[in-house]
Amino acid sequence: MATDDGQVTYLEAVALALDAEMERDPDVFIIGEDVGQFGGAFKVTKGFLEKFGARRVVDTPIAETGFTGLAAGAALVGLRPVVEYQFADFISCAFDPIINVLARHHWRTGDAMPVTLRAPFGARLRAGPTHSQSVESYFAHVPGLKIVMPGTPEDAAGLLVSSIRDNNPTLYLENKYLYRRLRVAGPISLEPIPLGVANVVREGRDVSLITYSAGVSQGLEVADELDRDGISVEVVDVRTLVPLDVETIVNSVRKTSRAVVLHEAAKRLGYGAEIAATIQEEAFWHLDQPVVRIAAKNTPTPTSPALEDAVVPQRAQVAETLRKVVRA
Amino acid sequence: MATRTNKRKTEEAGAIPVSKRDPELLRRMYRMMVLTRAVEDRMVAMYRGGDLLGSLYTGHWHEAISVGAAATLRADDYMAPLHRNAGAHLWRGMEAWQIMASFMGKATSPTGGRDGTLHYGRLDLGSYNPPSHIPANFPVATGMAFAAKYRGEDRVALAFCGDGSTSRADFHESLTIASVQKLPNVFVIENNQWAYSTPLSLQSSSETFAIKAVAYGIPGVKVDGIDVLAVYDTVAQAVARARAGDGPSLIEAVTMRMHGHAEHDPADYVPRAMYDEWSEKDPVERFENVLLEAGVIDADTAKQVREEARQHAIAARRKALADPMPDPSNIEEGVYAD
Repeated sequence: MATDDGQVTYLEAVALALDAEMERDPDVFIIGEDVGQFGGAFKVTKGFLEKFGARRVVDTPIAETGFTGLAAGAALVGLRPVVEYQFADFISCAFDPIINVLARHHWRTGDAMPVTLRAPFGARLRAGPTHSQSVESYFAHVPGLKIVMPGTPEDAAGLLVSSIRDNNPTLYLENKYLYRRLRVAGPISLEPIPLGVANVVREGRDVSLITYSAGVSQGLEVADELDRDGISVEVVDVRTLVPLDVETIVNSVRKTSRAVVLHEAAKRLGYGAEIAATIQEEAFWHLDQPVVRIAAKNTPTPTSPALEDAVVPQRAQVAETLRKVVRA
Repeated sequence: MATRTNKRKTEEAGAIPVSKRDPELLRRMYRMMVLTRAVEDRMVAMYRGGDLLGSLYTGHWHEAISVGAAATLRADDYMAPLHRNAGAHLWRGMEAWQIMASFMGKATSPTGGRDGTLHYGRLDLGSYNPPSHIPANFPVATGMAFAAKYRGEDRVALAFCGDGSTSRADFHESLTIASVQKLPNVFVIENNQWAYSTPLSLQSSSETFAIKAVAYGIPGVKVDGIDVLAVYDTVAQAVARARAGDGPSLIEAVTMRMHGHAEHDPADYVPRAMYDEWSEKDPVERFENVLLEAGVIDADTAKQVREEARQHAIAARRKALADPMPDPSNIEEGVYAD
């Protein structure tokens, strides 16, 4: 499963990891709308039905509450379900079983709840207010859920392997804008990447750009651009919001003394607020500047390109903000 | 698939006569129904006496449904109960003191006091511990059934909800998924005619709840919920069908909620005539009379069973009262599994 030129896309990395885990563990199955004969709305599970059969590749009615709760029950008695939501926007239909059934069950009872919730999310595809949302903050507030947001094909694979093997409900958010835009030379490793370990994807001296998901590739592009002007940006990919690798973030900020947080979710109570607050708690006396957040405007995500680009963080905005913070 | 009404009384023609049934099973069902009533009566006294943390949810007049349905299960079957199923829990091996400890937030409750009141399921007894809002237990029951089918096991999953639950999305979605996937589920609606203060007339315009099964293409049966043998026979048939791989069934068992929604609720909204009518239909007394008439028990045995149940409840209260409260020092542990 790789492109003709031997490269592996972000989407293929997700598929490869899922395929490998289903091969490795007979208790792993995939369930969701159109995941079977159609291969999934974005084709992540293309070919899975033929390979694994309808027993393990389960097409469902349009019933997010129903199949999410089903996954909970199956997990309670020993299976390891992977649930696909067609778009992360539809996960709100499953809010109740995620919050009240999956997330708090282990704390209440001591019974493990190994469920992986896969959802394509995010903007920049001109898909509008109910097909473009970043949903991580809705769930980050809830004790008992892990939240995984890979920004590279390698992480998409390794973090999905870990999510599936984890004994907790894990929300694994796939950035659908990256699906076919990010690619790396194959083959890629399918070794698990531990949850809760951030990755310094680019070392730098002048400012720490702390981000995740699509912010990683965007941040690296901007870092290259600023490097030509002698500005050295350290890019920290937190990879998982819960658990959050506070130590790596704080070490980076202590080194650079400046921090900018970037995500494409709306700014108000976006996860950047948690990161910024954590930095001021843990590294306040190392800071030369206030922590700055770059995020989407506090509006729904518009459809039309001119409008969406005005709402979602653009490369130029990221570059300008970093320059300002470094110069100040 | 047509629904049918199964209001037959156990002594009527067509039903298996009491004399042809396993007397040991009958006596055990009787003992469990009497115990359920004794434990819940004791807990009402505990509520009034200030022993409990908050309110108390009881299953008076639900004993025949709880015990009759649970008695059809094997020990390795799954159950997803609601908050009026103390009888089903006791049937499956839950201790009476554990139920009391749950309503007291004790360290010895099934959740160690982290959850409490009506949330006392135990997975080691095959019973899901549900959240507050039923039928959130229905999708979970479909998952348990799914797992059984996935592994080629012939276990079934029995789930209970109330009349009010039938209005929720998870009821509809569970029955939809269970029917298209032919899952080994049995869904029992305990129609006690009140969802907190909401009467049936404001809950549903459907002629019955059982008839909703037609929309899912599965059998739907309405049964007299105070007749434990009618409940047992109806659920047993649905369990057999599920076990054979023929898919889910929906059962509506009709009873009456004889207490408030919980003990804090005086239920002034319930017409007096309803209580008058239903107080004549006590499922425990009814079953006792059936067994006495059939000679399965005699008056002395009945008296002894009732006294034993009373003593059991008294001892359970003593133990629960003496049990320790939980230690808050580890409260952040266990949010995540290892």
